Amino acid sequence: MTSKTTIPVHLDINGQRHTLELEPRVTLLDALRDRLGLTGTKKGCDHGQCGACTVHVDGERVLACLTLAAQAAGRTITTIEGLAREGELHPVQAAFLEQDAFQCGYCTPGQIMSAVACIREGHAGSDEEIREYMAGNLCRCGAYPHIVAAVRQAALEAAS
Amino acid sequence: MTVHNIRHGDAFDGGADAVGGRLSRVDGPAKITGAAKYAVEQQLKGLTYAALVESTIASGKVRAIDSKAAEAAPGVLKVLTPDTIISLRSASDWFGTPPPDKPYCPLARDITFSGQHVAAVVAETFEQAVAAAALVKVSYDETPAIVDLSDGKAGDGIPVDAMTKEWGDASAAFASAPVRICAAYNTPREYQAPMEPHGLIARWEGDHLTVWEPSQWLDGMARTYAEWFAVPFENVRLVSPYVGGGFGSKALALSHGAIAASAAKMLGRPVRLVMTRPQTFTSYGGRAATRQTVTIGADRDGMIQSIVHRGVNETSIDGMWVEPLGSVTSIMYATPNFSSKQNVVRVNSVVPGAMRAPGENPSAFGIESAIDELAYEVGIDPLEIRLKNYAEQDPHAKKAWSTRQLREAFAAGAERFGWARRTAEPRSMRDGNQLIGWGVAAGTYPVRRAYGEAMVRILADGSVEVESSSIDMGQGTYTILAQTAAETVGVSADDVVVKLGDSRFPRAGVTGGSRLAGVMTGAVHKAATSALDQLIGLAISDPRSPFHTLQANTLVVANGRIGSPRGDGPDVSIAELLKSIGRDRIEATGDTMPANSTAEDRYKNYTTIAMALPHTEGDYSRHSWCAHFVEVRVDEDFGTVRVSRVVSALDSGRLYNPKLAESQWKGGIIMGIGQALLEEGIVDRRHGRIVNNNLADYLVPTNADVPEIEVISVGIPDLHSSVLGGKGVGELAIVGMAPAIANAVFHATGKRIRDLPITLEKLI
Repeated sequence: MTSKTTIPVHLDINGQRHTLELEPRVTLLDALRDRLGLTGTKKGCDHGQCGACTVHVDGERVLACLTLAAQAAGRTITTIEGLAREGELHPVQAAFLEQDAFQCGYCTPGQIMSAVACIREGHAGSDEEIREYMAGNLCRCGAYPHIVAAVRQAALEAAS
Repeated sequence: MTVHNIRHGDAFDGGADAVGGRLSRVDGPAKITGAAKYAVEQQLKGLTYAALVESTIASGKVRAIDSKAAEAAPGVLKVLTPDTIISLRSASDWFGTPPPDKPYCPLARDITFSGQHVAAVVAETFEQAVAAAALVKVSYDETPAIVDLSDGKAGDGIPVDAMTKEWGDASAAFASAPVRICAAYNTPREYQAPMEPHGLIARWEGDHLTVWEPSQWLDGMARTYAEWFAVPFENVRLVSPYVGGGFGSKALALSHGAIAASAAKMLGRPVRLVMTRPQTFTSYGGRAATRQTVTIGADRDGMIQSIVHRGVNETSIDGMWVEPLGSVTSIMYATPNFSSKQNVVRVNSVVPGAMRAPGENPSAFGIESAIDELAYEVGIDPLEIRLKNYAEQDPHAKKAWSTRQLREAFAAGAERFGWARRTAEPRSMRDGNQLIGWGVAAGTYPVRRAYGEAMVRILADGSVEVESSSIDMGQGTYTILAQTAAETVGVSADDVVVKLGDSRFPRAGVTGGSRLAGVMTGAVHKAATSALDQLIGLAISDPRSPFHTLQANTLVVANGRIGSPRGDGPDVSIAELLKSIGRDRIEATGDTMPANSTAEDRYKNYTTIAMALPHTEGDYSRHSWCAHFVEVRVDEDFGTVRVSRVVSALDSGRLYNPKLAESQWKGGIIMGIGQALLEEGIVDRRHGRIVNNNLADYLVPTNADVPEIEVISVGIPDLHSSVLGGKGVGELAIVGMAPAIANAVFHATGKRIRDLPITLEKLI
């Protein structure tokens, strides 16, 4: 809705530009889910505790629930919907499917976005390192051992 | 007819597509690309947003609600209070017990716990609703609260006679036993904490209500909504295509659902209400806090002579929850004398609810810790004492086990874990500053059976559709039903589309108690068999069919093609056959209900739990079984406990898809690690509030808390338990994990921790 309390916010999401009229208090997460219908990014706690809302802003993993939409204006945002290219799954997505690294699927987009960054950061050198650098993404179904296996597999593919 | 070759456990040679194959999740691609739309993610025109206002006291009355400021806030459409919300009717409970003939108000005037819904604000945006909810001022007349089980005002509670199990003379046998163990075991409030918070979108069109809500039981919840709003059951549609975890918490319609649906009716617009994470700790119940006393009388050689068990669980002031604490105690070990009794104690809490293996989970913590204590008392290996007291039949029901591969589980787990290398003495294994402990415990969960129904359609292009109002919350329903239909009809799983999570589909009972896979594979098998029979019947009898002149008694379908079993005659695809006989589809609904079932029976079967079959019905006692072997490392100076290795051997009968079953088992094991070491709802004793009502303070396991976990299937097909031979999977593996860890901690440190969770201050 438009009123004096809103501001125009330009967002670059998955290579597409969007302009939204938003109250400044709207988070990036709610802008994605409620305004743009990009519901792949999940809300698990809205307090930066669970990692389900992890997206990439300028290539780094960011919690969309603790980021105001306006803070992301002019930056490059990638969400789970933007990870597959031309219908080809990202290697991390393919590894998650192969290793059964999820059950209910609700934390999964955040896990995958974290995993892509974890590998890019060079933090997937060992299982122990993967566990540590993936510890910010909670999974109540308990897919952790399979998440580690998926990240290990994708990291090895990326290195080869 | 398709003949099923029932196979041993997950030993399998039929390819990934068939039942027993390691097919990857068919709903996986939607989930890993973000395309899967969960219930509250539907984008609806004119959607409004609701936010809840909750009580800040645990006991008393609402004196007044001042909603003026909230009503004047930007974007606010409505403030609902007990005085302004529309009147609803009381609904029946999950047994179908007729409700009292009185109105139901989901917003409370009488406060019985902190966090009770007292008002709600509906606004044009989420942000406006949240901001306005903070402006609602509630004043109270507060009365003293009973904050938890240890509150001096709590008392001994109410005996639950239905929980009493007794045989022999347990007290006398205990008194005369040469070895006596007696200890008290406590478990705290624990929370399901599914990653997807509870919530819903409610929309009315005339007197038809559509509810998009994560649900473990569409038809049961539809019944509740229908009764609340006094509309016919058929007028309520529940939609729940994906469920972001439930663990028992999403089976019932709750008061927030009544609030949202009332608001939608009052406004004439769809309303979305999603709980905040803190609200998920008080809007429905987690696992009740429990207290147990276990006494074991035994011979000097460790043979049990008597078990006396007393249990208590908390319930709410005006609701009843019984956590059956004697459920494992009464069946795990052979004993000639036994007594178990249980009380419930009312406290000012939301009514507790089902959380992964309700009853069996805390029950196992008691008995599986106590038998470990007995092992050290008589100087026998903890594994050996379990085998020594092995129950060859159900000691309580006095019936044969349908299948019990527990001895095999102990053997396989011990072998893989290397149990023989364990040194007996506590504190006898160490690695530098770390004390190492090895512990074992067993677990079990009953096979809960029910009747199911499904629709199977063979379409013109040869593909197959399955429809059911059951759900997939991560157990793999989509996948195993695709495998069942694929194998039964004789097509590839790629050619099967499974549609779940819509109450317009053939009905389904609750997804809980690890029953869904057994119930639904049976129903889909029956419907698919019926569709296949129709297909083959038409191929033989229809004059236009290429098989008409073959004079065959039967035909076989494999890989989507139909031919004679002898390999002579035509070989055509299903699509070609349907085209030749002028059919665009073949459709069959199958159910496993008794033949003479009435419409009323069916309604009762799908909307209540009253028709569930007892696990001891007939000649057998049916259960899943498991044995957990755990290594812990305890820092000697700091008392920090890390689980460093887990090997579990499990008997869930035949596995429909081992890849997915293993995932579910590991998930249960990991939740068990959380229960043992991390999870505890902490009550503020002044206000009766849960203070750690969020995911930073209520600790669930993270990736860094979890070691490599090995699971071994030792099950064999159990046709007394289900049509295709499976037993329960989802709840089994959490049972016995906490005592296995506590037993390992004792072996490492010599300290027996009988209060969960095992935190460092209890060890230093």
